[in-house]
Amino acid sequence: MSEYAVKLENVSKIYKLKRKDDGKNKKANDTKRFYALKDVSFTVDKGDVVGILGTNGSGKSTLSLVLSGVTEYDSGNMEVIGEQTLVAINTGLNAQLTGLENINVKGALLGLSKKRIREITEGVIEFAELGDFLYQPVKKYSSGMKSRLGFSISLYLNPDIIIVDEALSVGDKGFAQKCLDKMNELQKEGKTIFFISHSLPQVQNFCKKAMWIEGGRLKEFGDVDEVCDHYSEYIDYYNSLSKQEKTKLRDEKFAERIVENPEIGFIEKIFDRLKR
Amino acid sequence: MFKSMRYVLNENRRNMYRIYSIAKYELVSDMRDSRLGIFWNFANPAIQIVTYWFVFGALLSRGDVKEFGRTLPFIDWMLAGMVVWFFMNPCITQGSNAIFSKVNVITKMKFPVSILPATVILKELFNHFALMIILFVFFIFRGYYPTIYWLGLIYYCISGAIFATSLAMVTSVLNMLARDTRKLILSCMRLLLYLTPILWPIARANDFPVVKNIMLVNPIYYIVSGYRDCLIYHRGFTIYWKQALAFWVITLVLFMIGSLMMYKFKHKFIDLI
Repeated sequence: MSEYAVKLENVSKIYKLKRKDDGKNKKANDTKRFYALKDVSFTVDKGDVVGILGTNGSGKSTLSLVLSGVTEYDSGNMEVIGEQTLVAINTGLNAQLTGLENINVKGALLGLSKKRIREITEGVIEFAELGDFLYQPVKKYSSGMKSRLGFSISLYLNPDIIIVDEALSVGDKGFAQKCLDKMNELQKEGKTIFFISHSLPQVQNFCKKAMWIEGGRLKEFGDVDEVCDHYSEYIDYYNSLSKQEKTKLRDEKFAERIVENPEIGFIEKIFDRLKR
Repeated sequence: MFKSMRYVLNENRRNMYRIYSIAKYELVSDMRDSRLGIFWNFANPAIQIVTYWFVFGALLSRGDVKEFGRTLPFIDWMLAGMVVWFFMNPCITQGSNAIFSKVNVITKMKFPVSILPATVILKELFNHFALMIILFVFFIFRGYYPTIYWLGLIYYCISGAIFATSLAMVTSVLNMLARDTRKLILSCMRLLLYLTPILWPIARANDFPVVKNIMLVNPIYYIVSGYRDCLIYHRGFTIYWKQALAFWVITLVLFMIGSLMMYKFKHKFIDLI
């Protein structure tokens, strides 16, 4: 397993923050820039299952977007070998159409050929366990049903690298287990999986490795048990803090992420003005 | 420049089925939205046509239209041009929203954004075909029988679609940069309807040569006069060569700008929301 699937070198992603409109600030060019990810470097081998942990707003979702190639990073280098997919549950489902039609729609949105869609349809129907609801418009579905349908379609895409962003938090336990089983199966086929979840037991169960993102930086990357232990220790520590201390910690974290003296090109400046 | 054009063309070519599916199911879901479904696709234009006919044909008693040595009832003359408007108007307004309306898709998966304008135009093409069938029936009833010239409609229809796609590529990207674009376009469309000689013959502008020349290079008017020619006048393509030239130059320039912007911003859209 020396072959790597994903390699990141000092990848940073910068978001713009809107200027605080308190009336005092009159300088034209002070749209703040903020590191959503800062100098993230890691190498993930082919066939690895990596859990991604982190508190809210720490950059997990941004990392998943960068990994899946949906968005560009601002600096650094990323190499990906193979096709990557972000498993997105509810996107591409059209509420007016029936479940069956939605399989076609989402399949087409994901770029599958007509033949391929016909091939996967049966598997998706079976996996999603929709029963007679298959011929009902999706607007009548419960949220669990919707995510089951969306998740099933995504799983049948057959990419090399799968990025799952909290997709399992909606379905019931039984379905989550089914998805985990399916992903285990995929992993045995040599797929690389990134698994973003807040549920520590799920991560511990399913992943071999884990990374912990905190404040946009990669804090730890290694064996799943170690990282999970450290992460839960940190959570306990954070929860034990008093309110003021928490706020202070948050502010410090935030201040660290602000980009100092960003170099802003001329066109960017115009955008800043437009976007305000 | 050429790199970006090739990029956009390739992306569109590779995703033919994707474009078709998106357009098809957008149309289907539109119809499911209401109880009468497809009826509204015809009722809306019909009501609008009756309005214009009532105001211009009956109330203002515009009477018959004399153009190119033939006199036609106003309603026939207007309808031949109006169908183009019913095609171009939604193409332009919805085309500017092509990317923004699919924000939840492009932020969640790797998606070839440059095909989105084409999906909108294709969807409107379906609607346009339905309307054209009704128009054909109407015209045959009024005594205009199909001739070989009617085949020219295919050329004008495709030209219109290409123009609308090129324009939508520019406006949809601009709309992502600043949402004001769509608002601007929506308010300008009404103006454009009256600036395009659809409801009045261009001869009325003879006293204002500048205005007339501007109207002659108006790409939509090229399509309008093309439709009228195919359906009624039968004067052939060559007579409009100057307008054709202007039309294709404008379309090409729009396409170049559009693909350049698409190419430049292809990974940036998600950050522009």
